[in-house]
Amino acid sequence: MPQVSFEHIVKRFGGVTVLDGLDLAVEDGDFLVLLGPSGCGKTTLLNLLAGLLDVTSGRIMIGDRDVTELDPKDRGLAMVFQSYALYPTKTVEGNLRFGLSARKLPKSEADARVQWASDLLQLTPLMRRKPSELSGGQRQRVAIGRALVKHADVLLFDEPLSNLDAKLRTEMRLEIKKLHDTLKPTVVYVTHDQIEAMTMATKIAIMNGGEIQQFGTPDEVYENPQNLFVAGFIGSPAMNLTDGRFAVHDGAPNAVFPDGTRIDLSAYPFKSSPKDGDAIAVGMRPEHFELDAPGALPGHTAFDLRVRMVERTGSDALISLDFADDQLFVRAEPDRAAKTRAGETVPVHYPTAKLNLFDAREGRRL
Amino acid sequence: MTDATVMYPRKPKRIKGRSIAIIVFLTMAAMFFCVPLYVLIVTSFKEMDQIREGAMFSLPTTWTLEAWHFAWFEACSGLSCSGLKTGFWNSVVILIPSLIASIALSMVTGYALALWDVKWAGPFLFILFLCAFVPFQIIMYPLIRLTVTMGIYGSITAIAFVHTVLAMPVLTLIFRNFYKDIPPELIKAAIMDSGSFWRIFVEIILPMSGNILIVVLILQITSIWNDYLIGVTFGGLGTKPMTVHLANMVTVSTGTVSYNVNMAAALLTAIPPLVIYFVLGKFFVQGIAAGAIKG
Amino acid sequence: MALRWSRVTPQIALLPSVGVTLVAFLGAIGWTIYMSFTRSRRLPEYEIDWENPFRQFNRLFNDAGWQISLQNLIVLALGSGLAIVVGFILAAMIERERRGEDFFRTVFLYPLAVSLIVTGVAWRWIFNPQYGIEAFLKGLGWEGASFNWLSDPSTAMYAIIIAAIWQSSGFYMALMLAGLKGINTEIWSAARIDGVSLWRVYLEIIIPMMKFTFLTCAILLSLGVIKAFDIVLAMTNGGPGQSTWVPAYYTINAMSAKGNLGLASAAAVLMLLITLAVFLPLVALTAWQQRQAGKGDAA
Repeated sequence: MPQVSFEHIVKRFGGVTVLDGLDLAVEDGDFLVLLGPSGCGKTTLLNLLAGLLDVTSGRIMIGDRDVTELDPKDRGLAMVFQSYALYPTKTVEGNLRFGLSARKLPKSEADARVQWASDLLQLTPLMRRKPSELSGGQRQRVAIGRALVKHADVLLFDEPLSNLDAKLRTEMRLEIKKLHDTLKPTVVYVTHDQIEAMTMATKIAIMNGGEIQQFGTPDEVYENPQNLFVAGFIGSPAMNLTDGRFAVHDGAPNAVFPDGTRIDLSAYPFKSSPKDGDAIAVGMRPEHFELDAPGALPGHTAFDLRVRMVERTGSDALISLDFADDQLFVRAEPDRAAKTRAGETVPVHYPTAKLNLFDAREGRRL
Repeated sequence: MTDATVMYPRKPKRIKGRSIAIIVFLTMAAMFFCVPLYVLIVTSFKEMDQIREGAMFSLPTTWTLEAWHFAWFEACSGLSCSGLKTGFWNSVVILIPSLIASIALSMVTGYALALWDVKWAGPFLFILFLCAFVPFQIIMYPLIRLTVTMGIYGSITAIAFVHTVLAMPVLTLIFRNFYKDIPPELIKAAIMDSGSFWRIFVEIILPMSGNILIVVLILQITSIWNDYLIGVTFGGLGTKPMTVHLANMVTVSTGTVSYNVNMAAALLTAIPPLVIYFVLGKFFVQGIAAGAIKG
Repeated sequence: MALRWSRVTPQIALLPSVGVTLVAFLGAIGWTIYMSFTRSRRLPEYEIDWENPFRQFNRLFNDAGWQISLQNLIVLALGSGLAIVVGFILAAMIERERRGEDFFRTVFLYPLAVSLIVTGVAWRWIFNPQYGIEAFLKGLGWEGASFNWLSDPSTAMYAIIIAAIWQSSGFYMALMLAGLKGINTEIWSAARIDGVSLWRVYLEIIIPMMKFTFLTCAILLSLGVIKAFDIVLAMTNGGPGQSTWVPAYYTINAMSAKGNLGLASAAAVLMLLITLAVFLPLVALTAWQQRQAGKGDAA
């Protein structure tokens, strides 16, 4: 049975419809990341689940309880906020206890939980401090501790890492992942950062324009983007998307680009077959390219392309190549990139089965 | 997804009980706050006969402007019985030079302190901060001597002078806090381009001061118009502001008291600042906040 | 050349305000302090009374009028302190229930736009036993109603306090509203999810968070009370008897009615000292706050 499910959720603010009939369900113990650009409705969805906003219509279930009309405090969830929202006038310990105080727990139980959380998150030396005396990472841990002590069925995170610097963000990402692995709570986590989504999630819901574009495991959304939006959104560096036309040549399906370049699609696992002449977009991941292959590779499409520019970032390198009046970015080893000069021509191969074809007009995967 | 709206429909949220309680409470508080104004208004339109019946909240049985007319043209303040209009025009005549002088002085001072490198700006600002809170009484008599020596005591000039002096610390701090937030790059660029203190003031700073000018203008108009103490102390015969005329009018102890005339006179005095308040309330709020915190 | 000139001009532009500060503030304060040690009567005498330099202060403290003034100052400060409480309650309600914010704010603030001389007229009328609230309540059948506070020395001060609360609550409401709006909305959300009752959120979180706003209000109120003159003049003119005198009223009275410059100066000096006693914490507070702000963001 799903632990959290949204059923036909509609949310309007005044005349503006933010969510229009959204359905989504998460299993017990899942780490669901709601991922999308700002304004996509992901935070609204989270606030609806928390009860901080009321749905216009639809139903929210936690376990087998309909929580749609319940007060936030009765929904059995805990939340970590973007600004941490620690109570500035209370100590770390006071922050952990304040949320428990409304639940009328026996004192021994409350003590035990606070002790447990402070051990788990290494807060013990900080218990007497005020939030203003803590570093960003410490505040973050207190905020998580305040959520954990409640032993809630569902933990909500609203862009919790966006106020941290890059190094701390990496650390906290691991820490949250570790917590989820040990405690196995159901988590709903909102972010616009795809690295966070890819590293922590067991399920990702990619949202845009108030709709779920794709729902699946991180691997699924990465390897099999269901539409152009997901294809362009997931992946860094982004997938190369080149516009072309679908054509049948000598009985074989082909992608034809404006400059006449052609890719034989016989080895592509079509989900649906387009008609001759349909506009399509061809997506190629920068890291799937094979440079310097000795002769032809089976199942690959081969090109000879001119190098435009080489970008090296130290651990990695990106080579941009002229392709079909457009350019392709190809990931390369730094050593390989060091030998590459702008203007020379290099042979590249791309595995046909790993192409991503989309209907250019409707955006759906072919 | 058009049929999605039909599934699990939610009743539009009714206003919660707590909201109603809050609105009821706030409305009652608002009514209490309006009582003095309401009483002034209804009484000023009543005839004395109806007033003598009591019932302060009742509406006038016959609405009459007689009291207003009498208060404006004929009511006696002290020995002269030319109505409140004399005081009104005195107040207007006091207001204009007071406004111009106090704002001009404070603006230039605030500008110089905020944007120019004056070594002793810090200590001077601190002293101004102190002066902003000094009770008027401790400098009152010396100011009387000063204006007597200058030969202006009892004149409009004296009242305007004292208003300018008293408002200077607060207004300077307000202007200085406003100008301090102008990006220093802008001033640096302006100094490179022209370098002239006055040209930068007139061509760059003045056009940027619209908002704060309105705030200060409203703050000053209300405080000058509503002032009593400076007017009664520094005004001579024939130069006393409207508030002083009003106070004299309502504290008269001889003969029968015409309450309706008193109320009309009070309202006449209150109308100019009230009009400004209701029309430009947002700026008024900013003004009192700026004038209060200063810091 | 231009640079040197540009350094001199600002200082020249500052001359008028420096002159005003030196003469009309610092000089005048010094002059008044000096006068308080002389035997000046109607006109200033410039000879310090070496025999008994504190003569004026002794007279002051032996004067029943001054003692009443000080007592009334405290009563007025405590009483009108309610304005801060009222202001906070109004602000909290307005902030909670956003509907009608502009309307309520406008209503609660209008007394501040009107001269106290004007509102004194209205309040005296309300407290008028023949025509005011007392007559109104008697008309409703409450025969025991007694609101003739202004003519009774033991109650006149309370009438002034009510008028003062009415006049200044809106001001504190505006300051509190600004403070409340500065509170991170996620704090409210966190408290809602924690399920803490509204009372406890206000008492344990919000009010402690706003302690500086409260302190600022308290200091501004104290400074305002010390300066209170118009409201006494308009409500009671010090009466009945001397029962509603306050230091500001006493000082003016000593100067104009009594014509005793030395005594008035001594009273003014004490007013200044009281002001400083209230004001110095404000300076310390501002400095402290600025240091706090410099330390970085407080969560």
